[in-house]
Amino acid sequence: MQQVMEQQLSPQELQKLRNNRTGLFVLQVSWILVFVSLIVINLATRVNYPSWPPPGVSEPPVALPIIATLALFGSSVLVQRGYTAFTQGNRRALVRQWTGTLLLGLLFIAIITYEWLNVPENAGLYGQLFRLMTAFHAAHALAIGLFVLRTLRRVASGAYDQKNFWTVEATLKLWHFVTLAWTLFFVVLYII
Amino acid sequence: MATISAPVGGAQLERPKLQISQYLRWSVDHKVIGVQYGVTALFFFIIGGILAMLIRAELLTPALDVVANGQEYNVLFTMHGTIMIFLWIIPMWAAFGNYFVPLMLGAKDMAFPWLNAFAFWLLPPSGILMLLAYFIGPPEAGWTAYPPLSTLFSGDGQTLWAVSLHLVGISSILGAINFIVTIKNMRPAGMGYFQMPLFVWAMLAQAITILLATPFLAGALTLLILDRISGTTFFNPAGGGDVLLWQNVFWFYSHPAVYIMILPGFGVVSEVISTHSRKPIFGYRAIALSSLAIAIVGFTVWAHHMFTSLTPELRIPFMITSMIIAVPTGIKIFSWLGTLWGGKIHFTGAMLFSLGMVSMFVIGGITGVMLASVPFDIHVHDTYFVVSHFHFVLFGGSVFLIYSAIYHWFPKITGRMLDERLARIHFVLTYLGFFFTFFPQNLLGMLGMPRRVAVYAPEFQGLNVLVSIASFVLGASLLILFYNMYISLRRGQIAGPNPWRALTLEWTTTSPPPAHNFIGDPVPFDDPYGYGTEAAKAYIDAIERRLGPSAPLSTDPRRHEAPVAVGD
Repeated sequence: MQQVMEQQLSPQELQKLRNNRTGLFVLQVSWILVFVSLIVINLATRVNYPSWPPPGVSEPPVALPIIATLALFGSSVLVQRGYTAFTQGNRRALVRQWTGTLLLGLLFIAIITYEWLNVPENAGLYGQLFRLMTAFHAAHALAIGLFVLRTLRRVASGAYDQKNFWTVEATLKLWHFVTLAWTLFFVVLYII
Repeated sequence: MATISAPVGGAQLERPKLQISQYLRWSVDHKVIGVQYGVTALFFFIIGGILAMLIRAELLTPALDVVANGQEYNVLFTMHGTIMIFLWIIPMWAAFGNYFVPLMLGAKDMAFPWLNAFAFWLLPPSGILMLLAYFIGPPEAGWTAYPPLSTLFSGDGQTLWAVSLHLVGISSILGAINFIVTIKNMRPAGMGYFQMPLFVWAMLAQAITILLATPFLAGALTLLILDRISGTTFFNPAGGGDVLLWQNVFWFYSHPAVYIMILPGFGVVSEVISTHSRKPIFGYRAIALSSLAIAIVGFTVWAHHMFTSLTPELRIPFMITSMIIAVPTGIKIFSWLGTLWGGKIHFTGAMLFSLGMVSMFVIGGITGVMLASVPFDIHVHDTYFVVSHFHFVLFGGSVFLIYSAIYHWFPKITGRMLDERLARIHFVLTYLGFFFTFFPQNLLGMLGMPRRVAVYAPEFQGLNVLVSIASFVLGASLLILFYNMYISLRRGQIAGPNPWRALTLEWTTTSPPPAHNFIGDPVPFDDPYGYGTEAAKAYIDAIERRLGPSAPLSTDPRRHEAPVAVGD
């Protein structure tokens, strides 16, 4: 379907679309490395401790974070399905699916906020790193979530079409970025 | 064989008058942005240079004279290092990259003109923050800002310092994205990756390095700021943190940053040596790919800055990778020498500085290999040997090449030639001033003079006086460059489109280029360095016929004729 849409573009528009796609990809590669740098810092710090979380700090329960992670996975599925529907000309499906994305995103943010507030007082550096990483990610989820909302409202009011769809595509890719970044963080914060 | 596109009558237009106001406002034209970067960088070069002069004035005698105490001295070298690296060399390469990458690719502009302007306009606020930092409890932890100096001891300015570097980092990431997309997507028909000018290759390698390294600086700076203002203890052992963490993450960025500062320069030498010796570049692919090799290997060497603080088992691996990086650099040096061999060498200002760089950078490279060797490094760690080494690569390398690029491209940017006689004087003073500033520091280092101290043992004074006097000559030599630029802008010889008779695309348009760079679509010559062939002569002559005559290199008619094939 994407190819059909691109065939309607003039060479200049196609060049612009190619530039946008490469640019966003390159930006995402660089930006995910900021998340990776925090992961590296986390891993390098825990090497200095006999156990992680440090002795005396209880393991965080994983039930809620798993729900949050699944919510984010679900939201990525919905955002993708909404976009596919949009490329087939179905605006209402996009609005419906992306509303679901946003609701799941809200659930995610709510759970992470709860986790952030419930870091034990004695957690020391463990707690600082935990709060830094979750807050850093949540800031991205929030900002990109607002961008999803903006694109959704504009699609609902008739903006974007078969020739002018880059913003919708970019929104989709940015939301996937939120999910990918969280997946990396989830592994570091809760699994290993 | 390629020819340039349909001749346009009267294309050698009236030279547009220089309008300073257009450089003071928001513009999305890559040429304006290039000049904005360049002028901003030169401004900070002057500030950093004045700080260097103050440092050298202080070191004329073993006692305190210019500064009141050691802390004031710490501020001087901290500000000097930070400004020179982040506000002079890195933005200056962004200046040349912005101006010339689109031109060399025959493009109308960068891929994202708005983003390009935005990236530039992050720089003035960042510079202002850096200068403000000086006035509100200045940073005094060195440009490397090791905790606990930078967390527990430095003034509030250290926080501004970190915010300022955050802005520089974002600016260079956005710039790098723009370069990568422009180079990947906007090459003209008929120009594959291996037909690109080597400066474009170098900017690509630099952009990749920026893109992959700078995020780690961002991470480290964020933690530093939090430690300073919100009471976290990431780098404070008293709170369970680790001071070495900063060193690791910082150098994971800052060692690649060394290549961020030199790779575009390697591109400049390749342009200049080939063009000004009228000879095809020797080993095009080797030069292009060795840039990438340097960019990649550059990520594996960071801990050689930490030989004295690292666990001993890790020293040897980092020693080996650090030595390996001399190989791609050596490939370049020999390729340039191969290019010069048998060439018709014109000792223009651009050529002199490129040749000067090759000689000085070799000294910097060799002292680099010496420092990579653990037993030697442990002895000269934190002595003037290290200071000498990195000035040989950063001044003898990067700054010489910035000068070379100025002499090579100033005629294209302004439409006027720089005075070659002043260029030679500038070169001689710079070369001698530079050598006698930094070479004796090798000796001082091996004699055991520590760096970053205002008060030193009296037996070091002799060499220090020599160094200081030479450094004043070096500082004064800059005035000649500025004077040259000034009189050139006022009444320099009109350059014309292609004064060096070069084959890369930036010379197939007027000087300075019109708003959208080219009149018609430029067609690249098959080989950007294919000098010495009839086809090349025909291509260059066609530019002259279309765009009008260029300034002759000298009155010597041989210098203007087509290059002859060399070798046999």
